[in-house]
Amino acid sequence: MGAGPATPVPARRWRLWALVPILLLVGVVALFASTGASLLDLVGRAPPPADRFDVRRVEFKPGTIKIRVTNPQRTKLTIATVTVDDAIVPFRVEGPTTLSRLRSSTISVPFQWVDGDPYTVGITSSRGVETRADIPAAVETRGASPRGFLGYALIGLLVGVVPVALGLGWLPSLRRTDARWLAAFMALTAGLLSFLALDAFAEALRLQTTLPSGFQGPGLILLGVAASYLGLTFVAQRFSASSRHERGAPLEGAALAALIATGIGLHNLGEGLAIGSSIALGELALGTFLIVGFMIHNVTEGLGIATPIATGGRVSLARLSVLALVAGAPAIAGAWIGGFLTSDLLGVLFFAVAVGAALQVVVEVGRYLVRRAPGGLHSGHVVGGYLAGIVAMYSTGLLVG
Amino acid sequence: MAAAPVVAAAPLAKLALADPVAAHGVAHTDTGRPTMGHAAMLGREVPAPGGPNDLDALLYPPEPLSHRPGRVREYTLTAVDREIEVVRGVTFAAWTYNGTVPGPVIRATEDDLLRVRFANAGSHPHTIHFHGIHPSNMDGVFEVIAPGDSYVYEFPARPCGMHLYHCHSTPLKKHIAKGLYGALIIDPPTPRPPAQELVMVLSGFDTDGDGGNNFYGVNGPGFYYARYPIRVRRSQTVRIYLANLTEFDLINSFHLHGELFRYYPTGSSDQYEYTDTVMLCQGQRGIVEIDFHNTGHFMFHAHQSEFTELGWMGFFEVVD
Repeated sequence: MGAGPATPVPARRWRLWALVPILLLVGVVALFASTGASLLDLVGRAPPPADRFDVRRVEFKPGTIKIRVTNPQRTKLTIATVTVDDAIVPFRVEGPTTLSRLRSSTISVPFQWVDGDPYTVGITSSRGVETRADIPAAVETRGASPRGFLGYALIGLLVGVVPVALGLGWLPSLRRTDARWLAAFMALTAGLLSFLALDAFAEALRLQTTLPSGFQGPGLILLGVAASYLGLTFVAQRFSASSRHERGAPLEGAALAALIATGIGLHNLGEGLAIGSSIALGELALGTFLIVGFMIHNVTEGLGIATPIATGGRVSLARLSVLALVAGAPAIAGAWIGGFLTSDLLGVLFFAVAVGAALQVVVEVGRYLVRRAPGGLHSGHVVGGYLAGIVAMYSTGLLVG
Repeated sequence: MAAAPVVAAAPLAKLALADPVAAHGVAHTDTGRPTMGHAAMLGREVPAPGGPNDLDALLYPPEPLSHRPGRVREYTLTAVDREIEVVRGVTFAAWTYNGTVPGPVIRATEDDLLRVRFANAGSHPHTIHFHGIHPSNMDGVFEVIAPGDSYVYEFPARPCGMHLYHCHSTPLKKHIAKGLYGALIIDPPTPRPPAQELVMVLSGFDTDGDGGNNFYGVNGPGFYYARYPIRVRRSQTVRIYLANLTEFDLINSFHLHGELFRYYPTGSSDQYEYTDTVMLCQGQRGIVEIDFHNTGHFMFHAHQSEFTELGWMGFFEVVD
């Protein structure tokens, strides 16, 4: 940030000078706003507003349909009439009826809907433009209740904490392998985290397309990725500095395990969110098969955390439990958020954060392998392990896809 | 039903036989009661725009005049662009004759000389094309009237019946969908028996311009007569001059609850069908005559359920 205690005055001065362009900009903007608007008429006329609502979420409650809408455009947008299957219906608006840019309201429609039937809801603006949203099958959306809370917690536990804890059970076996195989398993960890990073990135890109363009989804993803990558890099440096008195050395042992657990945990937060919101919106047929699929998919994550610990001294059971919770419990939090809140914005951000975290851990594991793997990064065990990690994620992913 | 007679009793006397205009003064009860439970419309939430007597000029036709060949009947129609409210809170950028959709009711007796002075104050070229018998230069097809120009249509009114008029500029679909149409009644030399006379022109409104109607109405706005039922007397025949000008949809229809009526296609002969539902393509029209057997609220609407729930419905309030 500049100034040492010896030169306080110049420090102030550069900040002051930095205001000059900003003040000039304010002046020019004011000038343009007061006189220059007619300038635009020289090149054409603004098109009429599209008047499309963004339908964010349609929930089916007993005797009621709830439609969450956002105004994605600059001009104000008024909810004038609402139709269900091309019939005008009475409605109430929770929130403003006339929406400013990026503001949202929930439309509540008393309606005796039929379980499992498809529906089309339409919202017409005051200028007569109708926005329609198709719901393939009406399924009741459960609100926040102790039962639901418990249910989502159990789902998060089953798909997050349990498989990671089980995967940690590979630890005794890993302790008995030689360095080449340990390197292979570390590379496998890097492989599966690479897979998770790309998976989360694709999910973030998919979700951001549902956001109003004003939210600038791609920029939001970059922000999330950069923040989590750099944040974890910062934390990793602190870890290594405190443990080795040597800045920039690769992490090892429990510290590396903690970092991997954090990266996996952030990914599971996004995964829990996706599962939770899919269940809440009736988009996901939640069966035994799917839960089992997620468990098998995620058990490899435990292996990834266990591998770096295998080289070090004994680790207490409590410590292992903490690692399992760090990596797995975010799935519970994610399921709650996804199940009870409406926010694609949050979803995009979570997945972006997961991308950055997973990438950072891949880099950290790579640095570890460069130094510790017999034969370095290009040994057969490392290359094979890395590819095996991707294959493991891909093949178990078939169970949940 | 308990509350209605209290309000209804006073203006009853005004509903005199030969004075349909008096009905303008009727203070309609704004209970919204008839719509309760139908189409999920809850009482006052019927989303019809406007006040109680806003559509009277379109609903109640001018008085019929006796047969006097050669008499001149003059009307002035001006095409104007105007935003109209088609259901509560939703505006439609309409093209209108005299500011309303449908345009004013034109009425003449057979053998009158009908003179319609047309001025185009709109932003596009328009015409008036009348249905009926007339010379080709009065047909509103070849003489297209540019914005700012005017034209006088003049021809003997014939034959008697329920007719209509509309703009015939191209693109034709656009000019009709935007609202340039109205009813043309030509009375027979021998007057029809006295009745409570009403005009109903069926409209559709494509508010988002996607080539399909978003809302439907009779004499304009959707649900209007659900919010303000049409009061009629049981002892008096109700005669409706009915025309369909809905664009995009192939057909429209008129269905009455709790009663059957005589339907005279085009109103051009004595032949009628005794029914409670008639089907009309665009431009098809006729005369409906109802003798109500019962008092109370009776619904009328399109028997395309979709149109009903998008505005094309209303109620008769039949009183003694």
